[in-house]
Amino acid sequence: MDETSAPVRLIPWKAETLNTAFETDLLALLPRLRRFAIGLSGNPSDGDDLCQMTIERALANRSRWEQGTRLDSWMYRIMRNIWIDEGRRTTRSLQTFVDEEAGVTIGGDGAQEAVVELGNVDRAMQSLPPDQREAVLLVMVEGYAYKEAAEIVGCPVGTLNSRLVRGRDALMQMLGDEA
Amino acid sequence: MSTRVTPEEIAAFADGELPAGREAAIREAIAADPELAKQVQRHRALAARLSQHYAPVLEEGVPDRLTDLLTARKDKTVVDFAAARQKQEAQKREAPSRHPHWGWIAGPALAASLAIAVILGDTNTGPGAGYAGPQLAAVLDDQLVAEQSSAAETRVLLSFEDKGGQFCRAYSGVSGGGIACRDDEGWRIESRSEGGEAASTDFRMAGADDGAILAEAQDMATGPALDAAAEQAARERGWR
Repeated sequence: MDETSAPVRLIPWKAETLNTAFETDLLALLPRLRRFAIGLSGNPSDGDDLCQMTIERALANRSRWEQGTRLDSWMYRIMRNIWIDEGRRTTRSLQTFVDEEAGVTIGGDGAQEAVVELGNVDRAMQSLPPDQREAVLLVMVEGYAYKEAAEIVGCPVGTLNSRLVRGRDALMQMLGDEA
Repeated sequence: MSTRVTPEEIAAFADGELPAGREAAIREAIAADPELAKQVQRHRALAARLSQHYAPVLEEGVPDRLTDLLTARKDKTVVDFAAARQKQEAQKREAPSRHPHWGWIAGPALAASLAIAVILGDTNTGPGAGYAGPQLAAVLDDQLVAEQSSAAETRVLLSFEDKGGQFCRAYSGVSGGGIACRDDEGWRIESRSEGGEAASTDFRMAGADDGAILAEAQDMATGPALDAAAEQAARERGWR
Protein backbone atom coordinates (compact mmCIF):
# COMPACT_ATOMS: atom_id res chain seq x y z
CA MET A 1 0.00 0.00 0.00
CA ASP A 2 1.07 3.47 -0.65
CA GLU A 3 2.22 5.23 2.48
CA THR A 4 3.17 8.56 1.05
CA SER A 5 -0.07 10.47 0.78
CA ALA A 6 -2.31 11.95 3.45
CA PRO A 7 -1.36 12.09 7.09
CA VAL A 8 -0.45 8.58 8.14
CA ARG A 9 -0.68 7.45 11.68
CA LEU A 10 2.41 5.49 12.50
CA ILE A 11 2.21 3.98 15.88
CA PRO A 12 5.30 2.71 17.64
CA TRP A 13 4.47 -0.88 18.35
CA LYS A 14 5.68 -3.07 21.13
CA ALA A 15 4.96 -6.74 20.83
CA GLU A 16 3.56 -7.10 24.33
CA THR A 17 1.08 -4.25 23.87
CA LEU A 18 -0.08 -5.31 20.44
CA ASN A 19 -3.46 -6.71 21.43
CA THR A 20 -4.46 -3.75 23.48
CA ALA A 21 -3.21 -1.24 20.96
CA PHE A 22 -5.18 -2.90 18.17
CA GLU A 23 -8.39 -2.52 20.12
CA THR A 24 -7.56 0.97 21.28
CA ASP A 25 -6.97 2.03 17.71
CA LEU A 26 -10.23 0.46 16.59
CA LEU A 27 -12.06 2.32 19.33
CA ALA A 28 -10.58 5.54 18.08
CA LEU A 29 -11.69 4.74 14.55
CA LEU A 30 -15.24 3.86 15.54
CA PRO A 31 -16.88 7.26 15.01
CA ARG A 32 -15.51 7.46 11.47
CA LEU A 33 -16.39 3.86 10.71
CA ARG A 34 -19.92 4.52 11.91
CA ARG A 35 -20.18 7.54 9.65
CA PHE A 36 -19.17 5.44 6.66
CA ALA A 37 -21.52 2.62 7.69
CA ILE A 38 -24.47 4.95 8.10
CA GLY A 39 -23.72 6.56 4.75
CA LEU A 40 -23.55 3.18 3.02
CA SER A 41 -26.62 1.66 4.59
CA GLY A 42 -28.67 4.83 4.76
CA ASN A 43 -29.77 4.78 8.39
CA PRO A 44 -28.20 4.53 11.85
CA SER A 45 -29.65 1.18 12.83
CA ASP A 46 -28.47 -0.69 9.72
CA GLY A 47 -25.24 1.28 9.93
CA ASP A 48 -24.58 0.08 13.46
CA ASP A 49 -25.32 -3.50 12.44
CA LEU A 50 -22.81 -3.15 9.65
CA CYS A 51 -20.33 -1.63 12.07
CA GLN A 52 -20.78 -4.54 14.45
CA MET A 53 -20.20 -7.13 11.74
CA THR A 54 -17.12 -5.23 10.63
CA ILE A 55 -15.61 -5.15 14.11
CA GLU A 56 -16.34 -8.82 14.64
CA ARG A 57 -14.70 -9.76 11.38
CA ALA A 58 -11.71 -7.55 12.10
CA LEU A 59 -11.20 -9.14 15.51
CA ALA A 60 -11.48 -12.62 14.03
CA ASN A 61 -8.95 -11.72 11.34
CA ARG A 62 -6.63 -9.51 13.32
CA SER A 63 -3.64 -11.72 12.57
CA ARG A 64 -4.09 -10.86 8.89
CA TRP A 65 -3.64 -7.16 9.42
CA GLU A 66 -0.07 -6.18 8.63
CA GLN A 67 1.58 -3.95 11.15
CA GLY A 68 2.78 -0.70 9.67
CA THR A 69 -0.06 -0.55 7.15
CA ARG A 70 -3.00 1.68 7.75
CA LEU A 71 -5.59 0.22 10.03
CA ASP A 72 -8.25 2.64 8.83
CA SER A 73 -7.98 1.54 5.19
CA TRP A 74 -8.08 -2.10 6.27
CA MET A 75 -11.23 -1.50 8.31
CA TYR A 76 -12.97 0.41 5.56
CA ARG A 77 -12.18 -2.39 3.14
CA ILE A 78 -13.64 -5.01 5.47
CA MET A 79 -16.74 -2.89 5.92
CA ARG A 80 -17.41 -2.27 2.25
CA ASN A 81 -16.84 -5.96 1.46
CA ILE A 82 -19.41 -7.01 4.04
CA TRP A 83 -21.81 -4.36 2.78
CA ILE A 84 -21.45 -5.50 -0.82
CA ASP A 85 -21.94 -9.14 0.18
CA GLU A 86 -24.99 -8.30 2.28
CA GLY A 87 -26.42 -6.26 -0.55
CA ARG A 88 -26.14 -9.20 -2.89
CA ARG A 89 -27.92 -11.44 -0.44
CA THR A 90 -30.79 -9.17 0.46
CA THR A 91 -33.36 -7.85 -1.92
CA ARG A 92 -32.61 -5.18 -4.43
CA SER A 93 -34.28 -2.34 -2.63
CA LEU A 94 -31.58 0.10 -3.56
CA GLN A 95 -33.23 1.70 -6.53
CA THR A 96 -36.69 2.19 -5.12
CA PHE A 97 -36.20 5.80 -4.15
CA VAL A 98 -35.31 7.11 -7.56
CA ASP A 99 -38.79 7.78 -8.85
CA GLU A 100 -39.98 9.16 -5.59
CA GLU A 101 -37.25 11.74 -5.59
CA ALA A 102 -38.78 13.73 -8.40
CA GLY A 103 -41.89 14.36 -6.33
CA VAL A 104 -40.21 15.87 -3.29
CA THR A 105 -41.03 19.49 -2.75
CA ILE A 106 -39.33 21.97 -0.50
CA GLY A 107 -41.67 23.40 2.11
CA GLY A 108 -42.06 27.07 2.90
CA ASP A 109 -41.81 26.81 6.64
CA GLY A 110 -38.24 27.16 7.83
CA ALA A 111 -38.08 24.24 10.23
CA GLN A 112 -39.73 21.92 7.74
CA GLU A 113 -37.37 22.95 5.05
CA ALA A 114 -34.40 21.91 7.14
CA VAL A 115 -35.88 18.47 7.74
CA VAL A 116 -36.76 17.91 4.11
CA GLU A 117 -33.34 19.07 3.07
CA LEU A 118 -31.58 16.58 5.33
CA GLY A 119 -33.86 13.84 4.14
CA ASN A 120 -33.03 14.69 0.57
CA VAL A 121 -29.32 14.04 0.95
CA ASP A 122 -30.01 10.66 2.50
CA ARG A 123 -32.48 9.73 -0.16
CA ALA A 124 -30.32 10.93 -2.98
CA MET A 125 -27.42 8.90 -1.59
CA GLN A 126 -29.57 5.80 -1.27
CA SER A 127 -30.64 6.08 -4.88
CA LEU A 128 -27.05 5.75 -6.08
CA PRO A 129 -25.82 2.33 -7.19
CA PRO A 130 -23.50 0.81 -4.55
CA ASP A 131 -20.29 1.37 -6.50
CA GLN A 132 -21.04 5.06 -6.93
CA ARG A 133 -22.24 5.50 -3.37
CA GLU A 134 -19.09 4.08 -1.83
CA ALA A 135 -16.89 6.15 -4.14
CA VAL A 136 -18.73 9.35 -3.20
CA LEU A 137 -18.57 8.57 0.52
CA LEU A 138 -14.91 7.59 0.57
CA VAL A 139 -13.73 10.66 -1.31
CA MET A 140 -16.24 13.37 -0.47
CA VAL A 141 -17.13 12.48 3.10
CA GLU A 142 -14.26 10.38 4.42
CA GLY A 143 -11.72 12.53 2.60
CA TYR A 144 -9.62 9.82 0.99
CA ALA A 145 -7.48 10.54 -2.03
CA TYR A 146 -8.64 8.80 -5.21
CA LYS A 147 -5.78 6.37 -4.99
CA GLU A 148 -6.53 5.43 -1.39
CA ALA A 149 -10.24 5.07 -2.12
CA ALA A 150 -9.47 2.87 -5.14
CA GLU A 151 -7.33 0.62 -2.93
CA ILE A 152 -10.11 0.29 -0.38
CA VAL A 153 -12.62 -0.58 -3.08
CA GLY A 154 -10.16 -2.74 -4.98
CA CYS A 155 -10.50 -1.11 -8.39
CA PRO A 156 -8.25 0.96 -10.69
CA VAL A 157 -8.06 4.68 -9.98
CA GLY A 158 -9.63 5.51 -13.35
CA THR A 159 -12.63 3.33 -12.56
CA LEU A 160 -13.05 5.00 -9.22
CA ASN A 161 -12.82 8.41 -10.85
CA SER A 162 -15.57 7.67 -13.33
CA ARG A 163 -17.86 6.12 -10.69
CA LEU A 164 -17.30 9.21 -8.60
CA VAL A 165 -18.26 11.50 -11.46
CA ARG A 166 -21.40 9.57 -12.28
CA GLY A 167 -22.38 9.57 -8.62
CA ARG A 168 -21.78 13.28 -8.28
CA ASP A 169 -23.68 14.11 -11.43
CA ALA A 170 -26.64 12.12 -10.19
CA LEU A 171 -26.50 13.81 -6.79
CA MET A 172 -26.27 17.29 -8.27
CA GLN A 173 -29.22 16.55 -10.48
CA MET A 174 -31.32 15.26 -7.59
CA LEU A 175 -30.31 17.89 -5.08
CA GLY A 176 -30.50 20.78 -7.51
CA ASP A 177 -28.26 23.77 -7.84
CA GLU A 178 -28.30 24.53 -4.16
CA ALA A 179 -26.12 21.45 -3.66
CA MET B 1 -5.05 26.51 -27.90
CA SER B 2 -8.21 24.98 -26.64
CA THR B 3 -8.09 22.14 -24.20
CA ARG B 4 -10.73 19.48 -24.16
CA VAL B 5 -11.76 18.97 -20.57
CA THR B 6 -13.59 15.82 -19.52
CA PRO B 7 -16.11 15.71 -16.67
CA GLU B 8 -13.67 13.42 -14.83
CA GLU B 9 -11.01 16.10 -15.06
CA ILE B 10 -13.35 18.77 -13.79
CA ALA B 11 -14.20 16.67 -10.75
CA ALA B 12 -10.56 15.77 -10.18
CA PHE B 13 -9.62 19.42 -10.44
CA ALA B 14 -12.24 20.36 -7.86
CA ASP B 15 -10.81 17.67 -5.56
CA GLY B 16 -7.20 18.73 -6.11
CA GLU B 17 -6.48 15.32 -7.64
CA LEU B 18 -5.03 16.19 -11.04
CA PRO B 19 -1.37 15.54 -11.73
CA ALA B 20 0.61 18.77 -11.64
CA GLY B 21 1.26 18.87 -15.39
CA ARG B 22 -2.37 18.52 -16.34
CA GLU B 23 -3.64 20.78 -13.60
CA ALA B 24 -2.12 23.92 -15.12
CA ALA B 25 -3.81 23.27 -18.46
CA ILE B 26 -7.17 22.62 -16.84
CA ARG B 27 -6.83 25.68 -14.66
CA GLU B 28 -6.35 27.79 -17.77
CA ALA B 29 -9.31 26.22 -19.51
CA ILE B 30 -11.48 26.88 -16.48
CA ALA B 31 -10.34 30.46 -16.21
CA ALA B 32 -11.36 30.97 -19.83
CA ASP B 33 -14.75 29.33 -19.57
CA PRO B 34 -17.32 30.48 -17.00
CA GLU B 35 -19.38 27.35 -17.59
CA LEU B 36 -16.47 25.13 -16.51
CA ALA B 37 -15.81 27.38 -13.53
CA LYS B 38 -19.43 26.96 -12.52
CA GLN B 39 -19.11 23.19 -12.71
CA VAL B 40 -16.06 23.25 -10.43
CA GLN B 41 -18.00 25.41 -8.03
CA ARG B 42 -20.91 22.99 -8.01
CA HIS B 43 -18.60 20.07 -7.26
CA ARG B 44 -17.13 21.90 -4.31
CA ALA B 45 -20.49 22.97 -3.00
CA LEU B 46 -21.68 19.37 -3.17
CA ALA B 47 -18.60 18.20 -1.26
CA ALA B 48 -19.25 20.81 1.42
CA ARG B 49 -22.87 19.83 1.68
CA LEU B 50 -22.17 16.11 1.99
CA SER B 51 -19.46 16.43 4.61
CA GLN B 52 -21.71 18.77 6.54
CA HIS B 53 -24.56 16.30 6.31
CA TYR B 54 -22.60 13.42 7.80
CA ALA B 55 -20.53 15.43 10.28
CA PRO B 56 -23.00 15.03 13.19
CA VAL B 57 -22.33 11.28 13.29
CA LEU B 58 -18.81 12.01 14.53
CA GLU B 59 -20.20 14.03 17.42
CA GLU B 60 -22.63 11.37 18.58
CA GLY B 61 -21.61 8.83 21.14
CA VAL B 62 -20.86 5.39 19.73
CA PRO B 63 -23.46 2.87 20.96
CA ASP B 64 -22.29 0.63 23.80
CA ARG B 65 -22.91 -2.52 21.84
CA LEU B 66 -20.11 -1.49 19.52
CA THR B 67 -17.59 -0.29 22.08
CA ASP B 68 -18.32 -3.38 24.18
CA LEU B 69 -16.99 -5.54 21.39
CA LEU B 70 -13.62 -3.90 21.85
CA THR B 71 -13.52 -3.42 25.59
CA ALA B 72 -15.30 -6.40 27.12
CA ARG B 73 -13.19 -9.19 25.71
CA LYS B 74 -12.25 -11.19 28.74
CA ASP B 75 -9.00 -12.58 27.37
CA LYS B 76 -7.56 -9.14 26.81
CA THR B 77 -5.87 -6.70 29.06
CA VAL B 78 -7.58 -3.47 29.92
CA VAL B 79 -7.92 -1.09 27.05
CA ASP B 80 -6.66 2.37 27.62
CA PHE B 81 -9.76 4.49 27.28
CA ALA B 82 -8.00 7.76 27.72
CA ALA B 83 -5.63 6.95 24.88
CA ALA B 84 -8.51 5.98 22.63
CA ARG B 85 -10.36 9.14 23.40
CA GLN B 86 -7.30 11.25 22.78
CA LYS B 87 -6.76 9.58 19.46
CA GLN B 88 -10.39 10.09 18.60
CA GLU B 89 -10.11 13.77 19.30
CA ALA B 90 -6.91 14.03 17.32
CA GLN B 91 -8.48 12.28 14.38
CA LYS B 92 -11.47 14.53 14.44
CA ARG B 93 -9.11 17.42 14.07
CA GLU B 94 -6.75 15.91 11.56
CA ALA B 95 -6.94 13.31 9.12
CA PRO B 96 -7.11 11.86 6.66
CA SER B 97 -9.60 14.19 5.31
CA ARG B 98 -9.70 17.56 3.75
CA HIS B 99 -13.46 17.99 3.97
CA PRO B 100 -14.38 16.67 7.40
CA HIS B 101 -11.71 18.95 8.68
CA TRP B 102 -14.16 21.67 7.96
CA GLY B 103 -17.26 19.70 8.60
CA TRP B 104 -17.12 20.06 12.34
CA ILE B 105 -16.91 23.80 12.05
CA ALA B 106 -19.36 24.16 9.22
CA GLY B 107 -21.93 21.84 10.76
CA PRO B 108 -22.86 23.99 13.74
CA ALA B 109 -22.33 27.20 11.83
CA LEU B 110 -24.83 26.07 9.28
CA ALA B 111 -27.32 24.55 11.64
CA ALA B 112 -30.31 26.28 10.21
CA SER B 113 -30.44 29.57 11.96
CA LEU B 114 -32.81 32.42 11.44
CA ALA B 115 -31.28 35.74 10.70
CA ILE B 116 -33.48 38.79 11.08
CA ALA B 117 -33.49 40.97 8.05
CA VAL B 118 -31.61 44.19 7.96
CA ILE B 119 -30.06 45.37 4.76
CA LEU B 120 -26.37 45.79 5.23
CA GLY B 121 -24.56 49.00 4.46
CA ASP B 122 -23.69 49.45 0.85
CA THR B 123 -20.28 48.01 0.14
CA ASN B 124 -19.46 51.06 -1.94
CA THR B 125 -19.24 53.35 1.05
CA GLY B 126 -16.42 53.30 3.59
CA PRO B 127 -12.86 52.76 2.53
CA GLY B 128 -13.77 52.31 -1.13
CA ALA B 129 -15.35 50.14 -3.72
CA GLY B 130 -14.78 46.46 -3.14
CA TYR B 131 -14.57 46.88 0.61
CA ALA B 132 -17.07 46.18 3.33
CA GLY B 133 -19.23 49.12 4.34
CA PRO B 134 -19.15 50.39 7.93
CA GLN B 135 -21.92 48.15 9.17
CA LEU B 136 -20.52 44.95 7.77
CA ALA B 137 -17.00 45.99 8.74
CA ALA B 138 -18.12 46.43 12.34
CA VAL B 139 -19.53 42.93 12.37
CA LEU B 140 -16.34 41.52 10.86
CA ASP B 141 -14.22 43.45 13.34
CA ASP B 142 -16.09 42.49 16.47
CA GLN B 143 -18.26 39.44 16.10
CA LEU B 144 -16.76 36.11 17.13
CA VAL B 145 -18.25 32.89 15.84
CA ALA B 146 -18.34 31.44 19.33
CA GLU B 147 -20.10 34.42 20.88
CA GLN B 148 -22.48 35.68 18.26
CA SER B 149 -26.16 35.65 18.95
CA SER B 150 -28.27 33.27 16.95
CA ALA B 151 -30.42 36.26 16.05
CA ALA B 152 -27.49 38.23 14.65
CA GLU B 153 -28.36 39.97 11.42
CA THR B 154 -25.13 38.87 9.88
CA ARG B 155 -23.52 35.71 11.06
CA VAL B 156 -19.85 35.00 10.71
CA LEU B 157 -19.60 31.42 9.49
CA LEU B 158 -15.94 30.98 10.17
CA SER B 159 -12.55 32.68 10.07
CA PHE B 160 -9.37 31.47 8.47
CA GLU B 161 -6.01 32.56 7.16
CA ASP B 162 -5.63 32.74 3.40
CA LYS B 163 -2.57 31.79 1.40
CA GLY B 164 -1.19 35.30 1.65
CA GLY B 165 -1.38 35.19 5.44
CA GLN B 166 -4.33 37.56 5.71
CA PHE B 167 -7.22 36.86 8.00
CA CYS B 168 -10.44 36.24 6.15
CA ARG B 169 -13.96 35.71 7.41
CA ALA B 170 -16.88 34.06 5.70
CA TYR B 171 -20.20 35.60 6.60
CA SER B 172 -23.83 35.17 5.79
CA GLY B 173 -26.52 37.78 6.02
CA VAL B 174 -29.79 38.90 4.63
CA SER B 175 -28.49 40.64 1.59
CA GLY B 176 -26.23 37.75 0.80
CA GLY B 177 -23.03 36.37 2.17
CA GLY B 178 -19.45 36.36 1.15
CA ILE B 179 -15.84 36.28 2.18
CA ALA B 180 -13.87 39.31 3.26
CA CYS B 181 -10.16 39.54 4.00
CA ARG B 182 -8.53 42.19 6.15
CA ASP B 183 -5.86 44.30 4.48
CA ASP B 184 -4.46 47.81 5.01
CA GLU B 185 -7.61 49.44 3.67
CA GLY B 186 -10.19 47.46 5.53
CA TRP B 187 -12.24 44.35 4.87
CA ARG B 188 -11.75 43.59 1.21
CA ILE B 189 -14.66 41.66 -0.26
CA GLU B 190 -13.22 38.59 -1.93
CA SER B 191 -16.48 37.16 -3.05
CA ARG B 192 -20.16 37.64 -2.58
CA SER B 193 -23.24 35.58 -3.06
CA GLU B 194 -26.57 37.13 -3.78
CA GLY B 195 -29.21 37.44 -1.11
CA GLY B 196 -31.70 37.26 -3.93
CA GLU B 197 -35.38 37.23 -3.17
CA ALA B 198 -34.60 36.51 0.46
CA ALA B 199 -33.87 40.18 0.98
CA SER B 200 -37.48 41.06 0.41
CA THR B 201 -38.77 38.77 3.12
CA ASP B 202 -38.39 39.27 6.82
CA PHE B 203 -36.15 36.35 7.45
CA ARG B 204 -34.23 33.75 5.63
CA MET B 205 -32.79 30.38 6.31
CA ALA B 206 -29.07 30.27 6.58
CA GLY B 207 -27.80 27.36 4.62
CA ALA B 208 -28.43 27.11 0.94
CA ASP B 209 -25.76 29.35 -0.45
CA ASP B 210 -23.59 29.16 2.66
CA GLY B 211 -22.40 25.85 1.27
CA ALA B 212 -20.94 27.60 -1.72
CA ILE B 213 -19.28 30.22 0.46
CA LEU B 214 -17.81 27.58 2.71
CA ALA B 215 -16.56 25.60 -0.23
CA GLU B 216 -14.79 28.68 -1.47
CA ALA B 217 -13.40 29.45 1.98
CA GLN B 218 -12.05 25.94 2.13
CA ASP B 219 -10.33 26.52 -1.17
CA MET B 220 -8.80 29.84 -0.08
CA ALA B 221 -7.61 28.72 3.34
CA THR B 222 -4.16 27.47 4.19
CA GLY B 223 -5.14 25.52 7.28
CA PRO B 224 -8.21 24.67 9.29
CA ALA B 225 -10.66 27.32 10.36
CA LEU B 226 -9.66 29.31 13.42
CA ASP B 227 -10.97 27.93 16.67
CA ALA B 228 -12.53 30.16 19.31
CA ALA B 229 -9.22 31.01 20.99
CA ALA B 230 -7.43 31.76 17.75
CA GLU B 231 -10.32 33.91 16.62
CA GLN B 232 -10.25 35.93 19.80
CA ALA B 233 -6.49 36.39 19.54
CA ALA B 234 -6.86 37.55 15.94
CA ARG B 235 -9.51 40.07 16.96
CA GLU B 236 -7.25 41.44 19.66
CA ARG B 237 -4.61 42.05 17.04
CA GLY B 238 -7.15 43.78 14.81
CA TRP B 239 -7.17 40.86 12.36
CA ARG B 240 -3.72 41.81 11.11
